[in-house]
Amino acid sequence: MNRSPAPMPFIDALREAGDLRLPGSGLAWLDAARSENLEAFMAAGLPDTRAEAWKYTALRALGQRRFALGDADAATHPVDPHALALPGIDGPRLVFVNGVFRADLSKLEALPPGLSLQPLSRVLANDPEPLRFALSRQYREAGDAFARLNAALAGDGMVLRVAPGVRVGKPIHLCFAGAPAQGDVAWHLRNVIELGEGAELDLVEHHLATAQHKHLSTLVSEIVARDGAKLQHTLLQNVAEECTLIRRGSVRLGAKAQVMLHVLELGGALVRHDLHAELHGDEARFDTRGVFVLRGRQHVDTQLSIHHQALNTASESIWRGVADERARGVFRGAIVVAQGADGSDASLNNKNLLLSPLAEIDTKPELEIYADEVKAAHGATVGQLDERALFYLRSRGLPQAEARALLTAAFCRAVFSALPNETLRDHFSSALLAHLP
Amino acid sequence: MTIENDSPAVLRDNAEVAAALGRRYEAGFVTDIETDSLPPGLSEDIVRQLSALKGEPEWMTDWRLKAYRHWLTMPMPNWAKLNIAPIDFQAISYYASPKNKPKSLDEVDPKLLETYDKLGVPLHERAKLAGVAVDAVFDSVSVGTTFRKELAEAGVIFCSMSEAIREHSELVQKYLGSVVPTGDNYFAALNSAVFSDGSFVFIPKGVRCPMELSTYFRINAGHTGQFERTLIIAEEGAYVSYLEGCTAPMRDENQLHAAVVELVALEQAQIKYSTVQNWYPGDEEGRGGIYNFVTKRGDCRGDDSKISWTQVETGSAITWKYPSCVLRGDRSVGEFYSVALTHHRQQADTGTKMIHQGKGTRSKIVSKGISAGRSSNSYRGLVKMEKGAEGARNYTQCDSLLIGKKCGAHTFPYMEVKNPTAIVEHEATTSKISDDQLFYCRSRGIGEEDAVSMIVDGFCKQVFRELPMEFAVEAKKLLEISLEGAVG
Amino acid sequence: MLKIENLHARVEGKDILKGLTLTVKPGEVHAIMGPNGAGKSTLGNVLSGREGYEVTAGSVLFEGRDLLALEPEERAAAGLFLAFQYPVEIPGVNNTYFLRAALNAQRKQRGQGELDSMQFLKLVREKLKIMQISDELLHRAVNEGFSGGEKKRNEIFQMAVLEPKLAILDETDSGLDIDALKQVAQGVNALRSPDRAFLVITHYQRLLDYIEPDFVHVLADGRIVESGDKSLALKLEEHGYAWVAERDPALANEARA
Repeated sequence: MNRSPAPMPFIDALREAGDLRLPGSGLAWLDAARSENLEAFMAAGLPDTRAEAWKYTALRALGQRRFALGDADAATHPVDPHALALPGIDGPRLVFVNGVFRADLSKLEALPPGLSLQPLSRVLANDPEPLRFALSRQYREAGDAFARLNAALAGDGMVLRVAPGVRVGKPIHLCFAGAPAQGDVAWHLRNVIELGEGAELDLVEHHLATAQHKHLSTLVSEIVARDGAKLQHTLLQNVAEECTLIRRGSVRLGAKAQVMLHVLELGGALVRHDLHAELHGDEARFDTRGVFVLRGRQHVDTQLSIHHQALNTASESIWRGVADERARGVFRGAIVVAQGADGSDASLNNKNLLLSPLAEIDTKPELEIYADEVKAAHGATVGQLDERALFYLRSRGLPQAEARALLTAAFCRAVFSALPNETLRDHFSSALLAHLP
Repeated sequence: MTIENDSPAVLRDNAEVAAALGRRYEAGFVTDIETDSLPPGLSEDIVRQLSALKGEPEWMTDWRLKAYRHWLTMPMPNWAKLNIAPIDFQAISYYASPKNKPKSLDEVDPKLLETYDKLGVPLHERAKLAGVAVDAVFDSVSVGTTFRKELAEAGVIFCSMSEAIREHSELVQKYLGSVVPTGDNYFAALNSAVFSDGSFVFIPKGVRCPMELSTYFRINAGHTGQFERTLIIAEEGAYVSYLEGCTAPMRDENQLHAAVVELVALEQAQIKYSTVQNWYPGDEEGRGGIYNFVTKRGDCRGDDSKISWTQVETGSAITWKYPSCVLRGDRSVGEFYSVALTHHRQQADTGTKMIHQGKGTRSKIVSKGISAGRSSNSYRGLVKMEKGAEGARNYTQCDSLLIGKKCGAHTFPYMEVKNPTAIVEHEATTSKISDDQLFYCRSRGIGEEDAVSMIVDGFCKQVFRELPMEFAVEAKKLLEISLEGAVG
Repeated sequence: MLKIENLHARVEGKDILKGLTLTVKPGEVHAIMGPNGAGKSTLGNVLSGREGYEVTAGSVLFEGRDLLALEPEERAAAGLFLAFQYPVEIPGVNNTYFLRAALNAQRKQRGQGELDSMQFLKLVREKLKIMQISDELLHRAVNEGFSGGEKKRNEIFQMAVLEPKLAILDETDSGLDIDALKQVAQGVNALRSPDRAFLVITHYQRLLDYIEPDFVHVLADGRIVESGDKSLALKLEEHGYAWVAERDPALANEARA
């Protein structure tokens, strides 16, 4: 049965915006890719919960909102550089405020040899050709609406390349800040990251807000880790409480490549996080450690999918979720082992705490196995804090709220024990504690 | 991708699997018997004719028509993991019945009795299964029910659905569709419109059914679908254990089996429902076989009630069923134990839904999937803890075993938790029979096929334990036969 | 009974056995000793027919039959038994059921009648006594949740029930404390007979304190480099495996290279 689509101010606002001047506009292939994606997005609109990928995240309310495209003052918002800093991180830094690259806040001088780090807008102006493939991707799945929107409208982001065999000593700090503006603003960013063969990189991605706002941002990040490359990727998401963030990260691993991803999700009213990994070369390894801690009316939807496509590949995923007050946490963790990907070893563990009668957790671990020489397992639980532990702490004099926070933090913290940067690990702990109600 | 598709092991597997003549399907014979059937096709008129043929009261005809009209508005579901050839609902005959309808078991056509004898389900007085009352459904109608007298003395009603509609109209009207509404899903709606027969069980308050009840379903006629409807009601404190078995002849065409089973357990009642499903699975190339699209749901309506599903699924070309429990009563319990085995080109998508609504409700799910050949076997389950499910618990365990390199084993559990005192736990593993295990058995003198069935049997132990003894033995045998030629 | 001649075998493309020759007569107990990587376990696996072991040259005759041409279960029926170094767990398969299936499969192959459960139970009771095993072990699944010692004792118990002609004990002493070791050895000794031979593969001399061998062979780099009586084991204990290498110039050369 075809129903005529309900009016969607979200789309109307786009239509009314007319022709856009984005970095790279005028490049024939980019213009074509952008307009094709925009048309596809407008035609299909935002997905509804009948689409399996959006089963637990309704976008009706978002569809009723209007966002201005870009913030005219983004280049000049006063931002205290100290507010952007992370303890233990003092390497090169790339800063975007409301989607616009800020040279004044970034540190791009004296980059180590073999590392190329530039804002996308600059690459599009100077040497766009190498990005042609990455920026003319087509998205066809029903759940891919935001990837289309991003492909149509992203004008900036980070382009990072590490030459083969180069080990970048200091962590790269990538910082996305949201700041209050005139009305609600939307921006779209895109990262293109490539580690050459045997290259090593430590990347810290930080999403934060200088003050409260209700903006919408999308980020599509594509990482290629060639044979033998090693990436340590740490993501701290602490955006404004009332904003919307849609992030999609995909990573493709060559033979013997290793990627370790740590994620801490704290902020946002509506956050959707798609993480997709393809273990494409033999003996590649992909590990994730993630935590989301939600309160208020936060809705955070994490969709992890790991595809084992080559021999003797391994992945281990450990995720913890906490939902308090009226929050809703959604997690999907899919492991796919392709035919012939023998020797794959995949495990996923997802545990959740549901702390309030008005909160909700929906979790869906999945195994899709087409090879027989595999070890694949997953486990998921939803439960509460251990009453006995809680009582024990209270009997030792801790007030109830404090005891709960302590146990909740402990539940989450173990996930980050493998985070190599100790200072950063401590910072994660305190950020987590600060976020608990 | 650098994948060695042609490793020696794979080549050997293929050669030997090809060499094996595939499985024996022992129930694949056709009974030559005169049949009354409705012409193929589906319309309001056919629904009316069907209802008239069965001498149904008007309310039943109206109920069917309502379901039919609803069905017309529904789209055929599109399932992610199943490959289904389009079904032409106008090519199916919705009613087939042996010509000479017997009044009692003594009058049943000897050919029919012989059929059930061959299937190991004797119906005649001399050879009745000890302690098990059987209702035999042949194509669209029940051909006889054993032990009627003994059951009647206990106050238990066990009869065909057609008879129940005529003789126990009030009960049927009260409960039919109360668990699976007519518009619940595409195939449930279709079933509601055209169901021909099935079994009806009523266990009155406080009665423990004195014997196992069993229905044996047999599809015989070609170009027919079987749409049976089963309704089991256990009143306060009652107990019943019910078994169902299914077979069909080997035919090149796909035949549709779209049943609906409704269970109602009132306060402190217990219903144990066991299935050994061995519909014809099609041949090695996937020709023929039954499409088994079944809606089974139990309603733990009363406090402290319990519904337990146990299923062993080895047959059918495509299986799509999720026996579920709605745990409404406080402290009610739902259980699901399943073994699903797929071989050759079979596809199975099965699992359960446990909907926790009452306080202190508990559910347990144990699912064992075995995939061989080029088959595909998915567990799909939902555990839902609704707001009122104070202190509810669920534990789920899903294990998959792969035999061969061309099959798939998938696990899709959904967990939705809205109550902060509920606990949901899910664990799943996927593995193959390890070379070490096989070698260990062989080095002790046990041949490879025997070693495989021994290991598979061990893998399924937790589920077989839940079956009544005779069924457990049969299930084990079935598994062995179904796995023939699976290992090289 | 067993005649191994110039046996060469490789695993994953690597040559492990490089010309092993050994003859075992009924009633004899042979100990095969050697350092790690010498090929001790490979020998046991090749003899019992495990997949992945490629025989590139040589022959093995068992009671005059070409052992290498037989499937693992046929070797078992012929009277060969391997006590595994790491017995595998088989969840859900009852230990007694397993053993009866094995025994009856072997009897069937040999053209003997199968034992019914009463006869089998009687046999098991007798053997339990010899092995000092509690019947609780029998009710559990094969090796599932067994301790290291229980697994090894279960292997010897299976041997007692299956009554093989030639038993190969693959590092049966590994991972056992002294009490468990004694118990296992006691079981083995109880099964010694004029028509049964043993091949005891071990890294350490200590097992041979309890199972007294008639012959001791030193396996190094895929060959038997030294044979002798029980005293050879003691010499090895004293001097270590380096002593063997020193006495064999070919080995010493290889070690230097």
